[in-house]
Amino acid sequence: MMLFVWVMLLFDQKVEKADTLLLQEIQIEAPAYQTYGQGKKRISWNKEELKSYKNRSLADLLAEKSPVFIRQYGPGMLASPNFRGTSAGHTAIFWNGIPINSPSLGQSDLSILPLIIADQIDLSYGSDGALLGNESLGGAVHLSTTPQFNQSPNLSILQETGSFGKFHIGLEGSYSTEKIGIQTKIYHQNNPNEYSYRDFSEVGSPVKKQDHAAFQQQGFQQDVHWKINTNQLLKTSYWWNKANREIQPILGSFIQDTQSDESHRISLQYFIQKQNSILEFRSGWVKDSQYFNQIKNETSSIFFNSDWSIHHFSDWEFRLGGRVSLNSGNFSSYSARETRLETYQFINFSGIKHVDVSFNLRQLKYENQWVPFIPSFGLNWKLSQEFLLKASFGKGFKIPTLNDRFWEPGGNPNLLPEESWQGEMGVLWQKGSLESQLTFYGMEVDNWIIWKPEGSIWTPQNLRKVRNRGIEWENKLHSSFGQNKLLFFWSYTFTHSVNLPNPEDPTTFWNQQLPYTPRHQGQASLKLSKSKFTFQIGSQYVGSRATTLDQTRLLKGYFLSQTQLGLDNLNLGPFKYTIQFRVQNLFNKEYQVLYLRPMPGRSFHINLSIQL
Amino acid sequence: MKNNFNQFIICLSLSLILFSCMENEPERILGEFDSGILIMNEGAFGANDGEVSHLNPSNGTLKTNIFETANGRPFAGLLEDLVYEDDKLYLVANTGKIEVVNPGDFTSLGTVNSGLDQPRSLTVNSEKLFISDYGSYDQNYGTPNSYIAVVKNILGGNVAKKIPVSRKPEDLISFGKYILVAGSEESKVHVIDAEKEEVIKTLEVEGKPAVFYEAAGKIWLYTTGSNEVYFYSFHLDNFTLATTNIFPIENATGKIAFGNNDIMYLLTSSGWPDYEDGIAQVSVLGPELNPKWYSGSGFYGIGFDKTRGELYLAYANGFQGNGTITVLDESGTEKRNFESGRGPSGFLMR
Repeated sequence: MMLFVWVMLLFDQKVEKADTLLLQEIQIEAPAYQTYGQGKKRISWNKEELKSYKNRSLADLLAEKSPVFIRQYGPGMLASPNFRGTSAGHTAIFWNGIPINSPSLGQSDLSILPLIIADQIDLSYGSDGALLGNESLGGAVHLSTTPQFNQSPNLSILQETGSFGKFHIGLEGSYSTEKIGIQTKIYHQNNPNEYSYRDFSEVGSPVKKQDHAAFQQQGFQQDVHWKINTNQLLKTSYWWNKANREIQPILGSFIQDTQSDESHRISLQYFIQKQNSILEFRSGWVKDSQYFNQIKNETSSIFFNSDWSIHHFSDWEFRLGGRVSLNSGNFSSYSARETRLETYQFINFSGIKHVDVSFNLRQLKYENQWVPFIPSFGLNWKLSQEFLLKASFGKGFKIPTLNDRFWEPGGNPNLLPEESWQGEMGVLWQKGSLESQLTFYGMEVDNWIIWKPEGSIWTPQNLRKVRNRGIEWENKLHSSFGQNKLLFFWSYTFTHSVNLPNPEDPTTFWNQQLPYTPRHQGQASLKLSKSKFTFQIGSQYVGSRATTLDQTRLLKGYFLSQTQLGLDNLNLGPFKYTIQFRVQNLFNKEYQVLYLRPMPGRSFHINLSIQL
Repeated sequence: MKNNFNQFIICLSLSLILFSCMENEPERILGEFDSGILIMNEGAFGANDGEVSHLNPSNGTLKTNIFETANGRPFAGLLEDLVYEDDKLYLVANTGKIEVVNPGDFTSLGTVNSGLDQPRSLTVNSEKLFISDYGSYDQNYGTPNSYIAVVKNILGGNVAKKIPVSRKPEDLISFGKYILVAGSEESKVHVIDAEKEEVIKTLEVEGKPAVFYEAAGKIWLYTTGSNEVYFYSFHLDNFTLATTNIFPIENATGKIAFGNNDIMYLLTSSGWPDYEDGIAQVSVLGPELNPKWYSGSGFYGIGFDKTRGELYLAYANGFQGNGTITVLDESGTEKRNFESGRGPSGFLMR
């Protein structure tokens, strides 16, 4: 039915090209993390850069293109971020400004967040509870769809077939006028995931074929953006996502678990532009249902935000706002509800030559807990045409999840929020086609929640205090010679994340690197393009990781490489084609991200994209 | 008298001839791990890093990961029980497999690695393995399909039959061709005929049946209630309850160690919100009863070395890394500590 509507829109409507119209623009306030995040490190991927990842997941993108270490339990299985040495629940994930981490688990599974839905992805580094709210200790990921008006109608079909039986199909359609922008995305993938691996837990380490890791995923996203008049804009988005997975057993186990995850997400944003100010009302609803075998767990979150941005003074910008969040969970072992109230004040000041400063504050109340002072401060200082100094300081926090507080048995209602204090400083150097950024950060996380057994019952406690220090160094080199374009990227990340002495721990745990936190990571990629031809090769190094706090078992570091050959925008009749051939794990490396969870060897993928 | 003497000489000669002609089982040369203390390290949930450590108590030498060292491959399971029967050692992983090893050097003799769900313990009877298994979980984390799996080869192989029993079977003990099963969740004891491979009788008891043991020529069962513990003995001719001893010991976890002079040490844990752990001392055959013999927190396993009169107490250290073992003397005085593998949960004294 949806396809029919799109075909009708495409062929029955005549829309003028974007570059032939003089548009009446409405000034849309950029997200707060962009405007008020002075001194904070952030990287972004736009629509063009995400093109070759459209059939893949957020886990794949972050693993290949960012310093975030992804703890992956198998291809397509649970994948969680480990950002600047923090844990899976310390990275906030937003979709169109709505936090989508599960209120019961406090994290998201990055394997089932498909990139076809996003037009832009931003990665915010480090702690910033004032600007971003709950869970942003290690950082935050922002998935967003961008409004489009006055664009030509578009309908694209994306397909990928690959090794291990993978098949992915996606459909993207957009239609817009001067006032309305509609965008629809539909996707489906089926992956039997039948890859070969060596079972080194059995006598003779036989090579086996994975027979319990199949997954299917489908979903649908609908964006409607309505420019009501010259000073009002309404943005609505709805996203349905469903994934059915066989849970790949760890070596030595033969359990045949299955999991089904289904989410409904709605985001509504309404902007009114006044003289020297913008009012924004935002609300969202997220409902997650999970069946683990036959056990059903369900959570629901509703958000109401209102923000007032003031641009009355030339050197000052202000944003004042508040949020009400209603979270509830129905589980096999408990049911719980909670309400959170937040207010925040963001200030930008640019009255000093070459210096931009931001100062942000947030106040939070949940249950009977009151957290009155969550600040962040940052500055960008343009030292010269080539050098930009960035510095920031901020606090992050994470409210204990519903499971942490209410799980029966063992939930601990007396838990305190996890807290982090972080300072970072970096230099961005741009000269000609070379761009280099070096960042140092230091962070301390207190009240880190750990589940541990007490008698026969596991219970969470504010046990750990962690000190993180790190260096991130990224470089980009653009070059052109004739029709040839070259983009060379390389990076190195050092993460020193240690458990501080705690009298409740044995001394063998003191000052040790946290489990599954590689000290060294590196990435390099090369992209060559000429006319319609593109060649890319990339490689990532993940250093050795301990499986436990006392470092008694170290997993070997590994290099992974992938290459891609593409032909873009081939014309065939009225259609445009893009064909890509990709090889993952180019050198067929045998590796484990997590102990006893073998990953697949070399795989081949063909992508075909047809634009009508 | 002479006639009797001649008969005696003839019998003795025949006996000597008979024994000299019998084909003896080849004697197994005792190995390094046939003596000392084996420490079960359960491993962390989701990591399957259970293992066994070996302690030589005479010189304090500890060897870790002895399964992986002996076999060149990881154990890859959560170690639930370590059973020595029929001169073989069975490593029971509640993640769905059994490894059979030579008890002297831990080299692998066989496995059961299919057909099981959540095995808990086993016994050898009638040249077969009988494995208690919770079965799979239902939608309420219940285990309505618990069973005793039968494997018709004591060195492992496939599960040939599943005998349904009450929910969450734990320990088993063999007596002749019969097997007693501790049905922990429904307070039942099942009697299985190992030859017929079927339950022939089910008894009702109080508390949660946890561990069988032998003492004073009888089979005993230790069960735990919330405010007391129970020790049952059985009439083994007709499998009925013989004696019941009840002791006012609260919050017993089911973990028990057998000391000298018939004294038993029971692990207790108060649970939420205080999480106070303890060791109670009790004797069914003697007068001892001390519900608060030792107290602390983080106890995860218990064992007793009768030769040296030492109690071994295991701390899991939150499964964040290796656990710790504390050795106490019979008066409860701490003698020494050492580090073991991940999640130490029990001991097998060799």
